[in-house]
Amino acid sequence: MFISLYANWKKKRNLANLKDPSFSFLFEEDSSGEYVVFDTETTGLDTKNDEILSIGAVKIKENRILTSQTFEIYLKNSKNIDSKSILIHGIRECDLIDAKDPAEAVKNFLNFIGSRALIGYYLEFDVAMINRYIKPMLGITLPNKMIEVSEIYFEKTITLIPQGNIDLRFDTILKNCKVPDMGAHNAVNDAIMTAMIYLKLTKEKN
Amino acid sequence: MSIFEQRKLIESIHPFGLLSPTILDDLMQKMDIAYYPRGTLLISKTLSSIAFYIIIKGSVSELIDDEVYNFYVSGDSFDADALIYGQTEGKFVVDEDLICYEIKKDDFLTLLENKDVQSYFLQDFISRHQQLKEYHNQSDLSPFLIAKISDIYLHNACIVDERTTIYDALLRQKELKASIILVKTPTTYAIVTDTNLKEGVLLGKISVEESIEKIASKNVVSIDYNDFLFNALLLMTQKSIKRVIVIDKGEVKGVLEQLDLLSYFANHSHLVMVQIEKAENLDELKNLQKELKNIIISLDAKGVKVRYITKLIATLNEKIYKKLFDICVDEELQKDCALLVMGSEGREEQSIKTDQDNALIIRDGVDIELFKEPMIRLNAYLLDLGFPPCPGNVMVSNPFWRQSESAYKEQISIWVESLSSDSLQSLSIFLDAKSLAGDKTLLDNLKNFLHSNFSSRTDVLAHMAKAALSFETPLSLFSRFILEKQHENKLDLKKGGIFALVHGIRTLSFEYRIDVTNTIERIKALNNQGTFDKTFATELIECFDTLSSIRLQAMLEAKNLDEMNYINPKKLQKIEIDLLKDSFKVVNKLKKFMTFHFHLNMVS
Repeated sequence: MFISLYANWKKKRNLANLKDPSFSFLFEEDSSGEYVVFDTETTGLDTKNDEILSIGAVKIKENRILTSQTFEIYLKNSKNIDSKSILIHGIRECDLIDAKDPAEAVKNFLNFIGSRALIGYYLEFDVAMINRYIKPMLGITLPNKMIEVSEIYFEKTITLIPQGNIDLRFDTILKNCKVPDMGAHNAVNDAIMTAMIYLKLTKEKN
Repeated sequence: MSIFEQRKLIESIHPFGLLSPTILDDLMQKMDIAYYPRGTLLISKTLSSIAFYIIIKGSVSELIDDEVYNFYVSGDSFDADALIYGQTEGKFVVDEDLICYEIKKDDFLTLLENKDVQSYFLQDFISRHQQLKEYHNQSDLSPFLIAKISDIYLHNACIVDERTTIYDALLRQKELKASIILVKTPTTYAIVTDTNLKEGVLLGKISVEESIEKIASKNVVSIDYNDFLFNALLLMTQKSIKRVIVIDKGEVKGVLEQLDLLSYFANHSHLVMVQIEKAENLDELKNLQKELKNIIISLDAKGVKVRYITKLIATLNEKIYKKLFDICVDEELQKDCALLVMGSEGREEQSIKTDQDNALIIRDGVDIELFKEPMIRLNAYLLDLGFPPCPGNVMVSNPFWRQSESAYKEQISIWVESLSSDSLQSLSIFLDAKSLAGDKTLLDNLKNFLHSNFSSRTDVLAHMAKAALSFETPLSLFSRFILEKQHENKLDLKKGGIFALVHGIRTLSFEYRIDVTNTIERIKALNNQGTFDKTFATELIECFDTLSSIRLQAMLEAKNLDEMNYINPKKLQKIEIDLLKDSFKVVNKLKKFMTFHFHLNMVS
């Protein structure tokens, strides 16, 4: 009760800060019944200084991952990409030729997600990265409901092994949920795999 | 791009690989991934199908009248019929949590407007699998190996009348820049090569004004214009010749030169052959052995049908046997014995070295002991060259397989009378015997003896036939492979498929006195004399080809002899799995045929 009151109050205060009214749809009640799973590839793990290289997202409706409406976008960067991080995300300078201006890319993303609830693995980080772009631009942070898959996984697993040390690494969860590894880790693939984990965890019959 | 990887997955599933890139791109835009927990009912008589499913992970059973009719796993797709005809007899139930792509009904029906896709889904079962197989071949067969003689450059043939003078013939040859002269006789052709000229005109002092037929040689080797290039290579290799005459509808079309042909083939098997021929000692032969394996690997990689590879290898091994026989056995003794190879070597089906199975027949009245030392030496040389020993000791070093003609006859009678499993095995091995060196009529006599006395003995045949049924085909009712736990979940190809097929065909061939030993040739012969209809014969040949080719791959990868017959189905491509499953179905069909034909359910 208190928690939802607090959430509501926070949402209102967030809305009050919105500079561009055309984005007020983010605060509306969601009627699509869909969720959005998303993932970002970044230049590093520092949410204050690193930049987003790409955003990948898919929608989930009931038991379906709507790969027919996949969202994928690359962002222009202010600095050259650090050669060490290239090894992790596999995005090279030349992959960013078709990249969009960050402001435009993030706006596209907001239009894609609307007011749908967001799902992700270590979502906090991705949301913080997005917020770094939209806060100065629109004055707000992402108001959407957040669902963390590692949390669902943790709760499901802890009932099986109380006091157990639960390994929450992405690859482990992937393996234990018997979700196929789609190969290369990029934003869209990771989003699809996270979506599969989510469906498996929430729709599985015990 | 992630879409790219998903695309690759879809592309690897037939018939989607046939789609043009734009159609495929468009299709990718229309597919969703769905998750269904275990037990979900996807399609049934009352629940009509809404989408075409392609399994990413998990499995689905198709039940008809509550019995499992089909089983779908990762890479499989279903169910086109339910979508096309709007109804289905079966019930599709998720067996293991399912993650799959879904193509919505309308999108799928639009896709069907594509001719290739349409024909795939609308065809009946057999032709669908033929298409699968062609597609498979096509993907790794280099074009030149399916090339026919009609595709290659042929040299003009210089054809002259038999009464032409040698001088005029030579002028004509020069004019046409031909390497040889063909002499037309009323019935056939004769050939004049440089050797004939040298021996006839220069050494034999026949005048150039004489007619050309005087120096022509009658041994003309020809091949049909529509035959495969590969067969021309085989022919040249077998006969150690440098050119063949190409005949089209009874007329000489031209001359195919070895040089032109060889330039097509990366590995010069003919050269190996010549080297074997020229080898003076064991060490030289040993070096050539290494090249043999390379030939197999590269031919296999080029997608040459296994039956041609094995034939080529058999030809080469035969030369080695002959060479060793010449080295070990004195010329005088050679005419009083016959060296046999049996088992897979006799059938010309060994690819990588399989066990040596060999024997010697000695003419009645000649001292058997004379052959003891040479045969032990021959065996030692073979071992040295890497022909593995026979675990059953079927080798010329064993006195049991080094007997006189009449002793063999007695032995055959004993085998047939006792009908023990050992006897039947020996008899089977002997049925595949082929004579490589020495006096071949010795083997013919024995085979005649065997046929005239026993091939009508239905009890013998029935007991032999029973062996073909003794191992279960590793395919369950649900078209799933049965794997062997003690062999790391692998599949025994030899026991499960090849043995039943080879042995079944061997038994039938024995009954119908078919003399050829090669399994494919036997199937053809059985078809010719009416035991099998054309369709069944074709199925059997395709099935044997598939099993042998998958086995060959296993052999090339195997680290030791034990592993050779086992394959891990998980390592096979989707298409190969389908072909393998189909092949096992054909093996089962043959088993049923045998049961019926030999009334096996009445024999205990």
